[in-house]
Amino acid sequence: MNESPDQLHPNPLREGLATRSAPQSCTLVIFGATGDLTHRKLIPALYNIVADGEAPPALTVVGFARRPKTDKSFRDELAKSVRKHSRQKLQPRIWKEFAQSIFYHRSEFNNAAGYKSLAARLKKIDAARGTQGNHLFYFAAAPDQFAPILKHLKAAGLNKAADGSWARVIVEKPFGSDLASARRLNRIVRSSFAEDQTYRIDHFLGKETAQNILVLRFANAIFEPIWNARYIDHVQITAAETLGVEGRAGYYENAGALRDMVQNHLLQLLCLVAMEPPTDLSADSIRDEKVKVVRALRRFDAEEIASEVVRGQYDDGTINGEPVVAYRKEPKVDPNSRTETYVALRLLLDNWRWANVPFYVRVGKRLPKSATEISVHFKRAPLVLFNKEAPTIDQNVLVIRIQPDEGISLRMQAKIPGNNLRIEPVKMDFRYGTSFGKASPEAYERLLLDAMSGDATLFARRDEVEQAWALIDTIEEAWAKQKETPPYEYPSGSWGPEAADDLLARDGRAWRRF
Amino acid sequence: MKKREAANSFSAGLPVAVSDIDRELKKLWQETNGTATRASLINLAVYSEESDSLARNTEIVSQITEENSCRALVIAANRAAKKNHVAAWISAHCHVGSARTKQVCSEQISFALEGPCARSLPNIVFSHLDSDLPFYLWWQGEFHDPMEEQLWSWVDRLIYDSQLWTDVNGQMRLVEEAQADARQRVVLCDLNWTRLRPWRLALAQFFDHPAEQDYLNEIEEVEIAFAPGSRNAALLLAGWLAAQLGWMPADRSDDVLSFESASCCRIQVQLREKAGAGLSGCRLLCGRTEFSVSRRKANPLLACRSRHGRRRRDWQLLPIGPDEPAELLGEELRHGGSHRVYLRALQTVRDLF
Repeated sequence: MNESPDQLHPNPLREGLATRSAPQSCTLVIFGATGDLTHRKLIPALYNIVADGEAPPALTVVGFARRPKTDKSFRDELAKSVRKHSRQKLQPRIWKEFAQSIFYHRSEFNNAAGYKSLAARLKKIDAARGTQGNHLFYFAAAPDQFAPILKHLKAAGLNKAADGSWARVIVEKPFGSDLASARRLNRIVRSSFAEDQTYRIDHFLGKETAQNILVLRFANAIFEPIWNARYIDHVQITAAETLGVEGRAGYYENAGALRDMVQNHLLQLLCLVAMEPPTDLSADSIRDEKVKVVRALRRFDAEEIASEVVRGQYDDGTINGEPVVAYRKEPKVDPNSRTETYVALRLLLDNWRWANVPFYVRVGKRLPKSATEISVHFKRAPLVLFNKEAPTIDQNVLVIRIQPDEGISLRMQAKIPGNNLRIEPVKMDFRYGTSFGKASPEAYERLLLDAMSGDATLFARRDEVEQAWALIDTIEEAWAKQKETPPYEYPSGSWGPEAADDLLARDGRAWRRF
Repeated sequence: MKKREAANSFSAGLPVAVSDIDRELKKLWQETNGTATRASLINLAVYSEESDSLARNTEIVSQITEENSCRALVIAANRAAKKNHVAAWISAHCHVGSARTKQVCSEQISFALEGPCARSLPNIVFSHLDSDLPFYLWWQGEFHDPMEEQLWSWVDRLIYDSQLWTDVNGQMRLVEEAQADARQRVVLCDLNWTRLRPWRLALAQFFDHPAEQDYLNEIEEVEIAFAPGSRNAALLLAGWLAAQLGWMPADRSDDVLSFESASCCRIQVQLREKAGAGLSGCRLLCGRTEFSVSRRKANPLLACRSRHGRRRRDWQLLPIGPDEPAELLGEELRHGGSHRVYLRALQTVRDLF
């Protein structure tokens, strides 16, 4: 009973009101309700949904956490968070109404009694508020708590819903730390919730520009015919940030850039760029095509890792004119740590469309700029006509900016005005912020609404996650064996180790200048 | 842009000769020295025959351009004047974009057309469209018979407010005739329909769950309360319910419309005029069960409630939606769509206006 009821029984009065399924009345239970994610992202997102009139009727929130709090003190804290983190200003009258639907449930994650009382409380809420027995469980707690939470939810019967109702679970990343742990986690989740009840959230997919990749590719007739190995030279995907490890050393020391960013966010973006057109826009049609891309990624031999993957770690340096310390000097980081804060990969897809087209993917901390971008580099025009005037003609490059300053630009060649024939690259630029004055909804707003309406399109499916881990594992395993080879050091504020430049230079290419 | 500060105010802008508009606009942008970005997603022509419309519409365009970059053509026409006179102004509406980096500016070209030259509207409009962008025409007030045929060849969306029409049927006939002559499909956008959006959302949400959908077949009576001047909106809401639920018009008196459902049940729709603003309430009665949406007095929210016998349930409070022209237009631009549901609703109650 996890299909959206409005998909099975369309409401005639909904016609023309929205192009998406309507979110259903439900209670959202947040595990880890006192944590950062709840305060910075989830509650502000829910508030914006309510303020925009997009919330389903009787939407109710139950915060589940260990610390002692009352409903009132919980609501007061959340009001402060909304004031600080919401994209819309807090309107007291709207908050007042919404706050009445927020409750706090105190329990240890390991305490069976806490789940029994949760079940009783949800039953009462369903009866009193009309949430129709629909329950959405959001795991905003640490991953090591997932197993006990799932076990107790099942024991309390909360993984099942009555006829006509649904129970769903949203799992935050990381979905495991390798293939084995991902499979273990998926098994644990599956022992309580079926795949169609499970929503693995990757907030990159909720971003407007990520969603626009499919529109750009499949709603514009000019791109698809040239979106292949015949016309595309290579693709670059970069996720750069100026920040260091900040307060996440505990997690990051075990994860590193490859697990933290590549396994999920960057491979998801790669899938959107490389996938075949889906047969329709249903969740599984799109996810089927994405899985095919991950499956087609050429696996590395152990010997290839050293030449195809570069790992780095930031050293002392300068960011925005301020000196910053090396990763190994950060608090709670092992002074001999080999955790990578930078990784660059050369990936190949073994399929017809992308034969021999490299996808260069890089991610790094303490780089000069914070930006996530995809650039599609087209093959050069033959130099038959302009070989005297321009010894080299730049490639056409289509850039999809994911964040910040979301937009799309196209670099092309133009004649510089004058009596001589001088050719230089020029850029056509589309910026969301310029063309559309209204700020886009936050990724979490879209994803929460999708989960409430039963639309899993923007959530990762089990096989996608496991296939991605299979690729990452080959790299991690090879690194584990190369104990004598530490990551390359790069100065903070630089664009990463030289070896990453060499990765492209040996193919006669270079990273795009940001 | 300093020399031309007037161009940024709510006055019509910098006076220019009609033949110099393009050159003057170019100069205007050169003077920004790259501190502002010109943006445009649509051509928005706003036409009015009211005497003070230029200033009012300039203010509306200024608000609209905060979220909708466009080239605005604001036209004030006085067809009754005997002497021909054409005057033009240019201006720019600049706002800090959502990326908070640069000023993002939309251009406005304003025209005052007097006398027989007011009929040269198509030429005035066509010669100043930003090429390749969609063309939205907001016609304020009533259409003339016959409508300007030439104009229809390029309009993508025709925006009007049927709330202001005294003869909805006659006006719609003109629109349909013009639409038939158009080279392309013109999307009709009635701001009165946009006004109803929060009401439609509020009523629809009662029936999202399959368990509640049976009630849609059990509706016996509908009550719609409206303020003086909002009768057209009330009729349109009734038309929407009827069209979406498959009711056929059966009978009418001044305040009561009768429909017949597919299963031959009679449904009465009572229209009640009540002091206030816009629509103030809508109740759907299904035997002992009642679904209601009402405008709250204390704050601008719609309260959605149901009652099953003695059991009352508060569903939720929803934003009441816009009513000011700029907000309504902004809402219309935000949602777009083909409005086929609107046309169906209108057709159902067309003869009742």
